[in-house]
Amino acid sequence: MSSTPLLEGRNIHFRYGDEVIFENFNFVIHKGDKVVLKGESGSGKTTLFRLILGFESLQQGDILYQGESLKNPETIRNLRKNSSWLPQDLNIGTGLVEDVILFPFTFQAHKKIKPNQSAIEATLQNFGLTPDEILQKSYSDLSTGQRQRIGLAICVLLNQPFILLDEPTSALDHDSKSKAADLLLNQNKRTLLSTSHDPFWVERCEKVIDLNP
Amino acid sequence: MDIIQLSWFQLSIAFISLLIPAAILGYYKTGLNSKMLIATVRMTLQLIFVGYYLEYLFELDNAWVNLAWIMVMVIVADFATIDRSELSRKKELLIPVFAATFFGIVLINFFFLELVIQLPELLEAQYAIPITGMVLGNCLRSNVIGINDFYYSLKENRERFQFFLSCGASRSEALYPFFQTALKKSANPTLASMATIGLVSLPGMMTGQILSGSSPMTAIQYQIMIMLAIFSGTILSVYLAIKLCNRTVFFENDMLDESILKG
Repeated sequence: MSSTPLLEGRNIHFRYGDEVIFENFNFVIHKGDKVVLKGESGSGKTTLFRLILGFESLQQGDILYQGESLKNPETIRNLRKNSSWLPQDLNIGTGLVEDVILFPFTFQAHKKIKPNQSAIEATLQNFGLTPDEILQKSYSDLSTGQRQRIGLAICVLLNQPFILLDEPTSALDHDSKSKAADLLLNQNKRTLLSTSHDPFWVERCEKVIDLNP
Repeated sequence: MDIIQLSWFQLSIAFISLLIPAAILGYYKTGLNSKMLIATVRMTLQLIFVGYYLEYLFELDNAWVNLAWIMVMVIVADFATIDRSELSRKKELLIPVFAATFFGIVLINFFFLELVIQLPELLEAQYAIPITGMVLGNCLRSNVIGINDFYYSLKENRERFQFFLSCGASRSEALYPFFQTALKKSANPTLASMATIGLVSLPGMMTGQILSGSSPMTAIQYQIMIMLAIFSGTILSVYLAIKLCNRTVFFENDMLDESILKG
């Protein structure tokens, strides 16, 4: 008998006004799966992220997280405590890069795993960033590629069991992509759900969920 | 040294000074002259009304009547705060903003009127009404800046707030940076005026006291006190207003009910 899936979508219907996004949509994600969502723009990739993270309320159907319905706000909070999500617009903080990186570690849920300086520096170096230079810069002055790498570095440092990434490699060069894939996709226990148009990333994900009708 | 009483005729001469802004604003076709006219008429009528009303209030000098007048001022400030913050007049906002402003005013009044000035009678009109008015007027300005910034910034940076939530933040942890910015923005104007007061401008209350015959030292003592009352009152009321509103304007999934925003 298989164990309870990490996430299971059952008969999801969702629409924005008249626009139907999901109609009787089902999916299953098991613990440890590395999933990429496939679909044209407007097919509901970001909406699915938002439904899973509880930012949109389900209209019909249900999503179960470890067997518990996300209709229950407690389940949503439990999921969020075990996840991290990198939004596509990379609007993840203001002020110095150092403060942006450390802010999630001020949360009650992560206070105990606050990384030390050397762990932060090593992670940044892994993504081809020079710690001394970048940590004291203003986040708003960074290029899209640098922001993306900072966002991915936060996900790596948080080391959550469930990571959601929206187009994580769209502004990265080949080396950074390869590092991101090594750091995020090579952990058996971690579940990763992503959207991507990048063949390199898609190839490294072992499971595809097709959202096209 | 008594104040020179102004006759209505003398006051009407003062209106002649408006010809200067009218000419400048008219030349540059700013379209502000009709606005200026309306604002001037409103200001004059409102103040004449308040003048008569206060004369009556001072004569009566009853703590309950004074409290009722303070309530009226708070209710007017409540609607004005919501409107100028570009928020909808919903009870989810009107009640918490009223509660925050009222509680803030009561606390500040009690502290300054009863503990600092030590009024012989509770809520004596001559002190309670002008001091409440000054604190309330400043609370209104700061509340508008703080509340508007908080909720509109939350809308503009929705993904940032959601990123924090998705990383395990509780709602109040995810709101923390938005609160920080809103407090900074609402505190800054008062802090700036505190830092330059006396050097760049003589404040209205102090000028009034000096004109009516108080010694400059008495006037500055009251001015220092009122600045402290204003700063404490504004920060307290912005903090309480946002805290209390946040109890009613979020859905269970921690998303802001954006129907409270007008823009």
